Amino acid sequence: MSRFLTLSAALAVSIFATQAFAAEGVTVGPHGEKPTPAASVTLTADEVQKIKDGNYTAALVWHEMSEYTNAVNRGAEAEFAALGITIVAETNASFDSARQQSDVETVLAKKPTIIVSLPVDPTTAAAVYDPARKAGVKLAFIDNSPAGYEHGKDYVTIVSDDLFQMGSKAADAMAASLGKKGKLGYIYHDADFYVTNQRDRAFRTTIETKYPDMKIVAEAGMADPARSEEIAQGLLIKHPDLDGIYVTWAEPALNVLAALKAAGNTSTRIVALDLNEPAALDMVKGGSFTALVADEAYNIGRTAARAAAGSLIGKKAEPFLVVDSLAVTKENVLAGWKTSLNKDAPESIVEALK
Amino acid sequence: MSKTNPSLVPSGRSLSLLGKANLQQYVVYLGFLAIFLFFAIVLRDSGFLTVRNLSNIVLQTAPVTIMAIGLVFVLSAGEIDLSIGSIVAVSALAGAVAMNGYGITAGIAAGLCAGLLIGLVNGVLVAYVRLPSFLVTLATMGLFAGVARSLTDLRSIPVTNSAFTGFFGSGTLLGIPSLVWWTVGAICIGHIVYRHTRFGAHVLATGDNNRAASVSGISVPRIRLTVLMMSGVLASLAGLLYAGRLQAAKYTLGETDLMTVIAAVIVGGTLLNGGKGSIIGALVGSLMMGMLNNGLILMGLSVSDQMIVRGLIILAAVAVSLREKSR
Amino acid sequence: MTVTDVSPVLKLTDIRKNFDAVTAIENFSLDIFPGEIVALVGDNGAGKSTLIKIISGVYAPSAGTITIEGETVTMASASMARAHGIEVVYQDLALADQQTVYMNMFLGREPVNRFGLLDRGKMISDTEKLVQELDVRIPSAHATIRDLSGGQRQGVAIARATHWASKLILLDEPTAALGVAETAKVEAIVQSLKTRNIGVLIISHSLDQVFKLSDRICVLRRGKQIGIRKTSETDKNEIVSMITGVN
Repeated sequence: MSRFLTLSAALAVSIFATQAFAAEGVTVGPHGEKPTPAASVTLTADEVQKIKDGNYTAALVWHEMSEYTNAVNRGAEAEFAALGITIVAETNASFDSARQQSDVETVLAKKPTIIVSLPVDPTTAAAVYDPARKAGVKLAFIDNSPAGYEHGKDYVTIVSDDLFQMGSKAADAMAASLGKKGKLGYIYHDADFYVTNQRDRAFRTTIETKYPDMKIVAEAGMADPARSEEIAQGLLIKHPDLDGIYVTWAEPALNVLAALKAAGNTSTRIVALDLNEPAALDMVKGGSFTALVADEAYNIGRTAARAAAGSLIGKKAEPFLVVDSLAVTKENVLAGWKTSLNKDAPESIVEALK
Repeated sequence: MSKTNPSLVPSGRSLSLLGKANLQQYVVYLGFLAIFLFFAIVLRDSGFLTVRNLSNIVLQTAPVTIMAIGLVFVLSAGEIDLSIGSIVAVSALAGAVAMNGYGITAGIAAGLCAGLLIGLVNGVLVAYVRLPSFLVTLATMGLFAGVARSLTDLRSIPVTNSAFTGFFGSGTLLGIPSLVWWTVGAICIGHIVYRHTRFGAHVLATGDNNRAASVSGISVPRIRLTVLMMSGVLASLAGLLYAGRLQAAKYTLGETDLMTVIAAVIVGGTLLNGGKGSIIGALVGSLMMGMLNNGLILMGLSVSDQMIVRGLIILAAVAVSLREKSR
Repeated sequence: MTVTDVSPVLKLTDIRKNFDAVTAIENFSLDIFPGEIVALVGDNGAGKSTLIKIISGVYAPSAGTITIEGETVTMASASMARAHGIEVVYQDLALADQQTVYMNMFLGREPVNRFGLLDRGKMISDTEKLVQELDVRIPSAHATIRDLSGGQRQGVAIARATHWASKLILLDEPTAALGVAETAKVEAIVQSLKTRNIGVLIISHSLDQVFKLSDRICVLRRGKQIGIRKTSETDKNEIVSMITGVN
C-alpha cells in the first residue's frame, strides 16, 4: 500500500503514535487528537445553498497517485461538485516535498478558496503550505498536518482512517472465520509507521482481550514486503498447524498466500488489510483469504471536502475526523468495494462470483 | 577575409547544411515560445501571465537548471551522470546536519564536499578504472540513495538558519530573488566555460572523438574526471537550493529530478552521445519543463492527463531537435 | 639543394623494437632531410605502423637512437613528439567530427587571449590563411567536419599537421579512402609541403603515388630494412621485388 511510503517518511508523527498506544482501544490523531466520526460533518440545505452561492474553487494537491488516492480524489470531486465548488487544479508530487511545494505555489495562481491535500512530510510541510495559509486558503488535510500548524486557525481539519477500528475489525473477521478459537500467526509491519503500527496493535489487542480461546502463537515482523514470503515460510515450518494468519496489508499477504500454496496448505485462513484484486479473487474462489478489512477511502475525500467547504461559511470542524472501515468477505465483496472505493468491483471478481 | 579567399568557396550543398544547422539551434527557442504563447492564450484568465506565476516558474526550476549545466558538460564529454538525484539528497542532508551542528559555513562546505566526493568516486571509476559511466552512476545512484536514507534514518532535517535559507532559498538581493541570482550566475559561468575556454573545447573534443582528443594531447581521463566532479558539485548546489527553499532536507529531494534534467538538456540541443551541446539551450529546456508543469496544472487537467500531455510534448520536442541534428 | 650539406631533421640509427620475444623492427636506420619526401613501403605486417608509433612517440624503441636536428631525444609520448616538431596525420585523421574546422586545427593547442578565453579570431584567421596557402577547398573555417567530403577532411588534417610541424610530418595512407579526383588534390597538397622546408615521411600502398611524390623510397620487410633507393634511380620492379623478396 503505497500510502505507507508517505507515512514512512512521517517519522515525526510516529513519536505521537507511540504515546497514543497508551490509550488502548481508540485511534488517535497525529498530534494526539481524539477521533470524531466523519459522519459528524454535516451541512443543512441552507448551508449548502450558501456555499453554492459563494462560487468557490478548490485545488487537490496529492502526495502521489494510487488506487487509494484515486478513491479519496473521487470522493472530494463528488462532494465539491455537489456543493457547486469548481476544482481548478489537481497535482501529484510523487512523494517529493520540493515538488509539492512547487505544486502549491503553482495552484495558487488560480486563487483557489480551498486546498485539500495529503502532506508528503509533516516536517517540511509548513514551508510547503505557508504561501497558501498566508493567502487565506482553507486547508483540509488527509492523514497528517504540517508541524506547528494550529487546528482551527491554520487548517480546518485532518481526515483519516479509524485505524484502531480497522485492526479490531480484522480480529473480529478472523474470529468469525475460525469460530472464535484457534492458533494464530501474526505478521506485522516492523517499522515506525503511524498507520500500520496502530492497525497491527489493534488486531493484537482485540484478540487478546476479546477472544480468550484464540492465541497468537507465532509472530514475525516484516520490514520489506518483498521478503514476506520467506517470513511466512519460516512461520509455517515452525508452526504448520496455524489456523489463521493476520498480515499487515494485502500486498505482502499475497506472498503469504504463495507460501501456503507452496506448502500445500489449504486450511490456514488469511486476514489482511486493504482491498486488493488478486487477494479478493482468491477469497471469492474459496481460497485462503477469508476477509479483507478496508477503510472508506472515498468517504475520506468527501469528508475533507465537506469540512473545508463548511469552514467557508464559518462552520468549525473537529480536529481529527475518522471514517469507518468494513470487513469485506466473500458475501459482501461487491457492496464492500463500492463502499470503500465507490467503484464497482473488478470484472474478474464479478465473474468469479457467478 | 573569406570574400577574397578563393579556397573558401562554399558549395551549394554545404550552404544548405549550414542553413539547417542554424535552424536546429533555434528549435528549442521556437518550441519554448510556442508553448508560452499557447499557455498565455489558453490560460489568460487563469493567472498564468502574472508576474508571481512566471517568477514561480523560474524559482522552481532553479535546481533543475543548475543540475542541467553539469549534465551538459557530462553528456558533451560522451559520459552520463545518473547519480545527480542522489547527490542532491545526500548533499542537502549533509549540509543540513552540519549546519545544525556547526553553523552555516560548515553546512555549505559539507553539502558541496559531499557532491565533490561523489563526483570524484564516479570520475575515478569512469576515467581511471575505465568503467562505463552509465553503469557506474547507475550503481552510485542507488548506493547514495541508500546513504541518504540511512544518513538520518529517513528523518527530515529542519533547516532553521535564516542566513542559509535566505542565501539559498527565499532571500532577495537588489529586489531579485536569490534563486534567480544563482540561476543567472551559474548559467553565465557555465556558458563561458563551455563555449569560451580551452577546457570547454577539450570536453567537446573528448565526447566527439576521444582518440582524436587523446592524440591531440588532451588528457581524456582528466576531462572525464573533471566533468563528473563538476556535475557532482552542481548537483550538491541544487541540493542546497532545495534545502534553502524547503527549509528542510529530506532523502526524497531530487529523487524525481533525473528525468526532468535529462529531458531539459536534450530538448535544449545537447547530444546524448557527446560532442555537441548548449548551456543556454539547457536553461531554456529547463524553463520549458517548468512551464509545462505549471501550465498543465493551471489548465485543470487531472494528474494522469498532465503526465500524458507532458510526455507527448517532450517526445515531440526531442523528436524535432534530434531529427534535425542527424543527417 | 644537395642532401649532404644540410643536417637531417630526423635521424634514426639502429632502431630496434621488441614486443616480449618478438622482434617487430630491427636495425632500422633512416635520415630524413628538410624539403624531402621519403616513402616508407612494405607489405602488411612489415612493421610500418610500429615504426610510425616509434617516430610519433607512442612506443619507445628497445634500442637505437632518435636524433632530431643533431640532438638525441627520447620520446615517451605523442605530446613529446609534437613538442619536437613532429606531426602525424593518422589514417583515421583524428578529427572531431562535430567541431568546426578551426577548432580541429587547434585541437589541444587552442590559443587564448589575455583573459584566458579562447581566441577564436586568431584561430579563424590562421585557419583561413593556411587553407588558402595549401589550397584546401573547404566552404569556411566555420564548417563542421562531418559536413566535409573525405578529401576536404584529409586536407584539413594535413593543414593541421603543417601548421604545427616544424620538423617532420608523418602521413599514414593519406589517400586510402579517397576517390580519383580527391586523391589528386591531396597529392598536390603533399607535394606543396616540399616548399616548407620540413621533412615528410609518407606511408602508402600505392606505388604509383610513391613514385609520383617521393624523393627516396625505404623498403621494409618483416621488420627488416631491405634498402633505401632514390626514386629517380629505381623502378617499380625493383621496389616490388624488394617488398616481396621475390626476384
